[in-house]
Amino acid sequence: MIEFQHVFKSYGRGRNILADINFRISPGEFVFVSGPSGAGKSTLLKLIGALEPPSRGSVHVNGHRVDKMPGRAQPYLRRAVGLILQDTHLLYDRNAINNVLLPLAVIGLAPSVAVTRARAAMEKVGLSGKEDLNPVEMSGGEQQRLAIARAIVNRPAILIADEPTANLDQDSAQRIMQVFRDFNRVGVTTLIASHDRKLMASYATRTLHIDNGRFTDIPGVIA
Amino acid sequence: MRRTLRHHRYALRVALGRLAQHPFSTLANVLVISLTLALPIIAASILVSVQPVARDIPVSPEATLLIRPGTDMSATRELARRLEQEHGEHIASVRVVPRDEALETMKQNPAWTDALSVLPDNPLPDAIVVTLRDLPEMAQEAARLATLWRQLDNVDAVQLDRDWVRRLEALLHAARVGLGLLAVGVALVVLATVFNTVRMQALTQREEIGVARLVGATESFVRRPFLYLGGLTGLVSSILAIGLARAALAPLNEALARLSSTYGTEFTLHLPDALSLLLATIFVAILAALSARLSVTRNTQF
Repeated sequence: MIEFQHVFKSYGRGRNILADINFRISPGEFVFVSGPSGAGKSTLLKLIGALEPPSRGSVHVNGHRVDKMPGRAQPYLRRAVGLILQDTHLLYDRNAINNVLLPLAVIGLAPSVAVTRARAAMEKVGLSGKEDLNPVEMSGGEQQRLAIARAIVNRPAILIADEPTANLDQDSAQRIMQVFRDFNRVGVTTLIASHDRKLMASYATRTLHIDNGRFTDIPGVIA
Repeated sequence: MRRTLRHHRYALRVALGRLAQHPFSTLANVLVISLTLALPIIAASILVSVQPVARDIPVSPEATLLIRPGTDMSATRELARRLEQEHGEHIASVRVVPRDEALETMKQNPAWTDALSVLPDNPLPDAIVVTLRDLPEMAQEAARLATLWRQLDNVDAVQLDRDWVRRLEALLHAARVGLGLLAVGVALVVLATVFNTVRMQALTQREEIGVARLVGATESFVRRPFLYLGGLTGLVSSILAIGLARAALAPLNEALARLSSTYGTEFTLHLPDALSLLLATIFVAILAALSARLSVTRNTQF
């Protein structure tokens, strides 16, 4: 469950990036966050992942109040939230499987179990056989899927993706969306930020539209 | 428990990987630290080698009164008693050494055996060895007493020959203070070098640290490989420094052996004992790890 109550976010004394945001996402939901560039979508996702604190208001994620959470507890929350940011943040000094293995090293999983799990995650996103490739040798779509594999390898309860299909051709975008749908079908709460209305329209699902830091209604989408 | 062990194994592997990734930079750092560490090890070697020699020699000033040949032993003993009575406040003990006893003692020293064997008779005089009390003003007082005793009947000469031991003691004390200061300086060099190495590494690994935090890494997880990196650098540098010091002592000992043989004795410089070296190595490794921790804490706040 994700719940925002009267959440504001601003940097310094600047304008509010988010202003009085209220919403609730139930476990197992598939939700889009739409809005133009600079609307505050990425900030909203970072607040859920405890990557940034809200300026005001309360943020509840997976039964924890994130805005009151001490810094040392935040890493444990992030293990339950699979984060795929706009920049894939892949590590180019190692091959694909070692990128996927990092979250498992973080939780101290036995290497043999970790390798099996990482291979399974790569298979789920259609990257079987590409374990030894360096991410730099992969296409944009493959890199995005590798980032998803890294996010899901820890079996998170919540999956959050920021513009996962941006800069991808339609086929690659569809494949990636299918991966998210598959995870959502097995109960993973999924939240995707996108400004691609066509993409959102093809999935009859709930959409939260954000503009200038506030939620607004848009025609043709279910809010 | 197993998870903790796995975390440490992972950190060690990452640290070794990072060291291996930049072999020349790693080697340069290790060399700088080990050369710096070798200096106090060599200084400590000199100190621990010289100290026992100094300890074997009595530090309390002694005056030896050489008795004129032909003087009766009973007159010598009477003189010893008089000295004790008249200068008791300055004297710790008085001992009469008959010439035969002195010869026997000398014969026990292999360096003198050959020389004494060719002499037709005992060339040594009877002697009175006066041990003076170890008082702060005794150096001046001993000189005054020696002048006084030279004028006594039956006294041929007075030797006051322990000043250099006191000087050696003072010199060793100064050397110990110097070694302490050198150790502090070296510790600062280790701290600074490891701090800078880890700072550079932390900046290079910025992306990896960011990703690790993104996937739920704790700060301990992020810092641990850097602590190992610092600790390993300290450990390897210490071992290399011991090797370098040992190598440096070899030619020094060769030269010293030649010099000491001319005095009919043996003197060699040796490294401090294994336990001291082990403790020093552990200390340097911990110091380097602490420096790494300080550096990584300061340089990964992004």
